[in-house]
Amino acid sequence: MISILDVSLPIISFVLFSLLTIPVTKTIRKRKSKRTALSFGWFSVIFITAIAAVANLAIKYYEQSSLQPFLNITLTNETHTMFSSAFLIDAISIYMAVIFTMVGAVVFLYSIFYIDLSEKLSERYYSVMLIIIGCIIGAAFSGDLLTLFIFWEASAAGSSFLMLYQKTTKSLHATLRYLVMIIIASAFIVYGLSIVYGITGTLNFWAVKQALTALQDKHLLVIAFIFIATGYAIEAAIVPFHMWLPDAYTAAPASSSAFLSALIDQGSYYVLLRVLIYILTPSTVLNWTVMLAVFSALTMIVGNLFAFSQRNVKRLIAYVCIADVGYNLVAITSVTPLGIMGNLYFFLIGGTTTALAFMAVGILNRMGFETLDDFSGIGRKAPFTSLALLLSAFSFAGVPPLAGFIAKYLVFTAAIEANLSWLAVIGVLTSIIQTAYLLRLINYMYAKTPQEKEISIKEPKKLLVPIFILSGAIIILGIYPTIILNLIEPVTQQLPFIP
Amino acid sequence: MQNMLLLTLLLPTLTVPIVYLTGRKSSKAAAILVALIAIADIALLSITVPIILDPATGHKYVESYYWIPVLNSSFTLFVDGVSLSMAIITLILILTVALFSVNYMQGKKGLAEYYALLTLLSIGLVGVFITSNLMLFYFCWELMLVPAYFIIGGWGYKEPYKAAFKFFIFTHAGAVFVLLGIGAIFMATGSLDMFQAQTALMAAQPDLVKWILLSLTAGFAVKMAVVPVHMWLPDAHSEAPAPMSALLSGVIIGAGAYAIFRVSLGTVFPAIMATDFGVQFLHGLAVFGVMSAFFGSLIALVENDIKRLIAYSSIAHMGYVLFGLSLFGLSLLSGKPSLVQVVMAGTVLHLVNHAVSKGLFFLSAGAIMKQLEIRDIREMGGLAGQMPITATSSTIAALSIAGVPPFACFISEFLIFVGAFQVIGNDGFYLLPTALMLIATVLSLAYALRYISHVFLGPTKLKEAKETPFFMRFAMLILAVFVIILGIWPTFFLNLINTLSFV
Repeated sequence: MISILDVSLPIISFVLFSLLTIPVTKTIRKRKSKRTALSFGWFSVIFITAIAAVANLAIKYYEQSSLQPFLNITLTNETHTMFSSAFLIDAISIYMAVIFTMVGAVVFLYSIFYIDLSEKLSERYYSVMLIIIGCIIGAAFSGDLLTLFIFWEASAAGSSFLMLYQKTTKSLHATLRYLVMIIIASAFIVYGLSIVYGITGTLNFWAVKQALTALQDKHLLVIAFIFIATGYAIEAAIVPFHMWLPDAYTAAPASSSAFLSALIDQGSYYVLLRVLIYILTPSTVLNWTVMLAVFSALTMIVGNLFAFSQRNVKRLIAYVCIADVGYNLVAITSVTPLGIMGNLYFFLIGGTTTALAFMAVGILNRMGFETLDDFSGIGRKAPFTSLALLLSAFSFAGVPPLAGFIAKYLVFTAAIEANLSWLAVIGVLTSIIQTAYLLRLINYMYAKTPQEKEISIKEPKKLLVPIFILSGAIIILGIYPTIILNLIEPVTQQLPFIP
Repeated sequence: MQNMLLLTLLLPTLTVPIVYLTGRKSSKAAAILVALIAIADIALLSITVPIILDPATGHKYVESYYWIPVLNSSFTLFVDGVSLSMAIITLILILTVALFSVNYMQGKKGLAEYYALLTLLSIGLVGVFITSNLMLFYFCWELMLVPAYFIIGGWGYKEPYKAAFKFFIFTHAGAVFVLLGIGAIFMATGSLDMFQAQTALMAAQPDLVKWILLSLTAGFAVKMAVVPVHMWLPDAHSEAPAPMSALLSGVIIGAGAYAIFRVSLGTVFPAIMATDFGVQFLHGLAVFGVMSAFFGSLIALVENDIKRLIAYSSIAHMGYVLFGLSLFGLSLLSGKPSLVQVVMAGTVLHLVNHAVSKGLFFLSAGAIMKQLEIRDIREMGGLAGQMPITATSSTIAALSIAGVPPFACFISEFLIFVGAFQVIGNDGFYLLPTALMLIATVLSLAYALRYISHVFLGPTKLKEAKETPFFMRFAMLILAVFVIILGIWPTFFLNLINTLSFV
């Protein structure tokens, strides 16, 4: 039997460790020797505990999932009470928690070494990062709209600290912009939620859904839907609300960009998926497919076209993130089992691939290579980093045997299944544009001769470790995607049974 | 031996790092290693020959492994007569190309990477022919792309990465439409197996099937370089290093034709065979085939760049194949088994023959370019005396490409035309295309003779020309022998191909 402790253990462990991290890393840094090894040891303690906590929950859940696929766990004993903070455990939240922890661990490993290289060290960075991972797992587990709101906004707003780490004018500007957008978004969401609460008298996912399905007059619901959808669309950077993303991701240090794209981005899609599909608007309540499809097409087109015109490589990757939002939306739009599967797979793959690209670009950025012209001939100067960037580029482009290919296949197939063939065709066409600019990047890296000949670059070995882990993951998941697809399969099987 | 097909794929996959490490010590050893892998693969595949020829097995050999059950797709490796012929001829080309590279690539930088990429390429090239799972098929289909891109870009001529870029973008754009088609097949049938899907598609909506067919065929046609989506081919083929040109022209575009044969016509087409659209589709294929044949031959007739000339002749020959494929579809409609057999044998055999002949053609042209370092055929002349072996093999290749007996391509072209004359009886539409195809054959003889006379005959213009080194000669001789054998005794491949039956 899963108790409240099992559910909150991953969250609590992250939050607790986050608080401990500041004094512990401070002590470690005062030492003269073995600093890297000690801090590495400390963080592995954190992540091993967290992974154990998540694994414990996953195992306990799957032991009884055939009996009770949807577990509603509350702080108080009464279910469905008005404000009782509720957790909902089902296959999808388990899946999200697992990938958040795993991907979080790799990105965090990169952050340790990356931040370690900068002049001004701050242990607050690690602490904030840990607390955000905790919150985002909390968001995955939450079972009512308010809990979801609190956890999710905490992680979204918290990530502004990660963007601001370098405290340059540019990053300050971008972070402010991000914060303003996030605050507007949460205002929208709160307003929408208050309407939902007014209509249904509850915020619990199931209760809301039941109430909405029985609802006769849908006028108010449409308004609430527009508010909530807009709010989450801003946070997920759906075109036309995407302006903040390229600035924020470019100004942030590479480790933050990797973290944001791998976790926060995926978290925002998850929230969108959960709220729009599972609770608020099953198509029996509102017919919204076409609208979302149009936004999806727009996002793919705009993201890819803007990426095409970028000269700054990091910004280019940031626009790829926006294009990824579009591909995710394709899958969200088709509420078929295959669509959900494609979506969840794309969450993971899109996230890891962008994270990988940001990590590789981060190493090169540190050496002063920023624009496409700077990247000329870098393939020979920094072979390992370039190889990672090459792999991620081909994965974005959907070239097998890299994981991006299976993800795109699932997404397009889902669109066809949902009778949205036009969307699939747009997806395919924009995917060609994507291939073109990524190939241009590769062309610069391998074909052009470098401007300054005699620069030898030393690639930091420590930073390459997380990069190799992610590269390996992309290749393995491309050749044998069954590892992840088997984790996702229960989600699709549960889809018809959502109460 | 129960898993020789798996081994055929695993062997090159696992040896990629070994080839790379060997190549860092000695590039010659790496080349020979690649050749040995190809020989081992041929040996593994030839184990299946008796199984294919044995009627008791249904002329098929299948291996199936656990892969992605969620998508109802298993790692199915399969050979029948056609795919076995294509796979064997591919491996023979890889073998010769690797040997040819020993001398041809000598002195170039990064040969370890080159041979590793060549090994990687061979996985995709062979894999495409020996699978019946569409997902795995697409996997290998795209797996050819990346190594080919880097080989063209890294060791090509002039602005190689530009040509490679064009090649990648065009073929990848085609491939995503293939992916769309495969996705739609999965949607309509719930299966990714070519043969299960074929039966299941019979029950699908004809409208959907129509779009699947168009999307797939358009995607395959890009790789096949059918006019008007041929733009990538002349650049890629002429700027690539000669071994890569031989593979591109011999196998990669042939894979496009094979895919149309296997997937478009084999899996999807039967579902809408009886409708009006089916016939229109076939007529469309014939029209594009004639266009390619004519366009390619005409440009080849006036082209002076030695490799671009051959590249355009590849477009022309893919025109023949496409015409043959169109006839094949129509013969399926006619319901006459003998006609189906003739047309299919002609078309597939032409793929095999073209692979060998064009491979030889490109290798010999590369040999000439390597020895003389010029590429304009007007500046050459009288090389027959100075480079007798290169000249002989190049002449054999050119004559085979022109369809002169007793060389390989003659037989297959002859079979295609025999089929065409029979089809005219069923469908008058084919009268004009067949006539035009015959004219194109004359044109191909013209450019072949022009090539021979410009390059090898006449007064000696270049005094310093010398015969090619041993490995290049050896590789060319192997292929030349194959061209002659296939011309005189095509029985082995004909027997294999004829095991397929469509009733």
